[in-house]
Amino acid sequence: MDLTALPLRAAAARPHVLLVSTPGGTATRLAAERQLRLQDLPRARTPAEADILLVAGPECRGLRPAIDRLWQSLPAPRSRACADTPGALPEVLARCRAELAASPGRQHAGHRHENPVGGGPDAEFGDGRDEHDGDDEDSGGGHGGHGGHGGHGDSESPWGLPMAGQGEDRDGLLLDQLHVPLGPFLADWPDALTARLTLQGDVVQRLEVEWPPVGGGVGPPFWGEPWARAIAGERVDAGEGARRRAAAHADSLGRLLAVAGWTGAATTARRLRDDLLDGASSAELRPGVRRFARRVGRSRTLHWLTRGAGVLTAGAAQDAGMTGPAARADGDVPARYRTWLAALVRDVDRLADRSPLDPAEEGPRGGGAPDGPWPSAALVRVLPGLLEGAELAAARLVVASLDPDPDELAAVSGEVGAGD
Amino acid sequence: MTETAAWWSLLAAPALLLAGAVLAVAGDALLAARDAGRPTTVRTALRPLLEVPRLLAAQPRRLPAADRLLWRLGVVSVPVAAVLSALVIPFGGTAVADLSVGVVWFNAMEVVTWGGLWLAGWGPNAAFSLIGGYRFVAQGLAYELPLMFALLSAATAAESLRVGDIAQAQHGLWFAVWMPVAFAVYLAGVLAFSFLGPFRHPAGEDIAAGVLGETSGVDRLLLEAGRWLWLTSGAAMAVPLFLGGGSGPGLPGWAWSSLKTLAVLAVLVWVLRRMPVVRADRYVEFAWVVLVPLTLVQVLVPALLVLGR
Repeated sequence: MDLTALPLRAAAARPHVLLVSTPGGTATRLAAERQLRLQDLPRARTPAEADILLVAGPECRGLRPAIDRLWQSLPAPRSRACADTPGALPEVLARCRAELAASPGRQHAGHRHENPVGGGPDAEFGDGRDEHDGDDEDSGGGHGGHGGHGGHGDSESPWGLPMAGQGEDRDGLLLDQLHVPLGPFLADWPDALTARLTLQGDVVQRLEVEWPPVGGGVGPPFWGEPWARAIAGERVDAGEGARRRAAAHADSLGRLLAVAGWTGAATTARRLRDDLLDGASSAELRPGVRRFARRVGRSRTLHWLTRGAGVLTAGAAQDAGMTGPAARADGDVPARYRTWLAALVRDVDRLADRSPLDPAEEGPRGGGAPDGPWPSAALVRVLPGLLEGAELAAARLVVASLDPDPDELAAVSGEVGAGD
Repeated sequence: MTETAAWWSLLAAPALLLAGAVLAVAGDALLAARDAGRPTTVRTALRPLLEVPRLLAAQPRRLPAADRLLWRLGVVSVPVAAVLSALVIPFGGTAVADLSVGVVWFNAMEVVTWGGLWLAGWGPNAAFSLIGGYRFVAQGLAYELPLMFALLSAATAAESLRVGDIAQAQHGLWFAVWMPVAFAVYLAGVLAFSFLGPFRHPAGEDIAAGVLGETSGVDRLLLEAGRWLWLTSGAAMAVPLFLGGGSGPGLPGWAWSSLKTLAVLAVLVWVLRRMPVVRADRYVEFAWVVLVPLTLVQVLVPALLVLGR
């Protein structure tokens, strides 16, 4: 018998899943997160840790190279699948696990890894500025950057990797500059968004944000869907809007708490989100939501660790065209998560509201005006100003506390072709 | 008096340490399952052990321009240092090696992980991994001094650096009772050198698992095992240092040692999921402004007592 058969079966019994979602894939992502949680399939945070690459959402041409690079850096045995609808998930996961169990194992796959990340970075993501790239699940130049065999880059650099350049930091010291892309895929990051950082040490010196152009065919954003229907003239209950908004806030809180490393609270937030989307009633949810809001809102530790990060005054937010909770919060990261918590508690009381949803009512990320742009565009617009000068951990917290929605960004780029 | 054990204890001590680590992992899995709304059964508790065959079957990672020698060295040194640190910890009345400078040995092994983890971050030649390595150094600068003063408090009170002597010196009144600050700081230090829970900043989610991010296969298994072995070793060391060692009514010394170790381990595992990750830059400030003075005062208490004896 093959000695590797047993370990392979073990890998198939509890594979780590690298879950990435494409614009328009929010519903599938939520279903996948829920399924992984209930089946105890750990989520991988990097390709190195993963056995299965699961893409949730419709095919997106702009993201294909990044997904391919992620796939190239998964160690064998491995399996890959796409699920474009929530319904496809169980079957897709079962197939992946069967594939893992029957995989030929490392001996056969060994030679492939000699060239770990395939060809050089493609023109879109790897523009030669990615050196030492971050490489986690990021992609960007991520794995691609490592794999810059040939292709571009000057011939003097070792392994085709560009060397770190130098530049003056804020204190006038000459320090190495690293160019590290965050995204388009990174654990607990708005998928498909790419932030190109120039780092000195772990301090962000400069930042450019971009997202891939999405062809048509992406419907209204999942979180804004009741509003889109109300605008189209359909009768939508205000309770449905409140439920969707509460779930969106719970989703955002889950992501922020995960970035802050509070595993227990992040799991609670995601369970509340799933319960909300399952249609649980106000009475069922109220005690849990209150307890969660109290625990997180009053946590001194969380406040101590996040305070002073990403201060955004109401005036500056208005100038950038922001309208939602992030603008109302008028302050730093704790101000923003407390605004979410307050809105969550308020909305959970309104789930049974049968009055019609006013399209002008605030959506999960603001907006709500029938012809206004999707509010996430404004959230992205303020990022460079907030992140420059921040330490990397603080920068991640700030992005998570604004939590721009990839679906909305895709809708924006679909409308005005803004995303390149 | 603590005695040096027979040669076979050299094998028994790592086995015991590993058993403790497995229990800690199982406990953590149960807590995770409860949080996530999964059934909490024996099967749930044992599922994380599937990681061992899974990681043994996985391909190790090869990256361009990686510093493979130093990377491997760093990865290996974390679990090895954890096992070596346990050699001086008395189990009941016996230790594998009851060194006259046992506390220093333990501390030295813990500092080896500084180097090991930094190398593990440096080796893969990837930005997030390197940032993770540097974060551990920053975290070390914050937790190490308070931790050393906490160790010194126990050593000063017992007037010995021999771990067995420290356990003996507590005659029924545990050091944890009259030196609570040192005990608390020591427990925080255990979490910090295991880079778990609130102190997993070097392997934080925000930098895609940092020092762990580029490892797969056996490398990852060694690092993951290293952190849980360190947690267990730290919990076991808390017993002779602060909880009276193997002394207790009724049961033999080894039983008391195990019970107390498991109790400390349970507390530490419970904390893991209950706190956000402490960012090293904020913890440095807290450690130097609050903890260092506090632990200095704490050392002063046994020092004055000893002088007055």
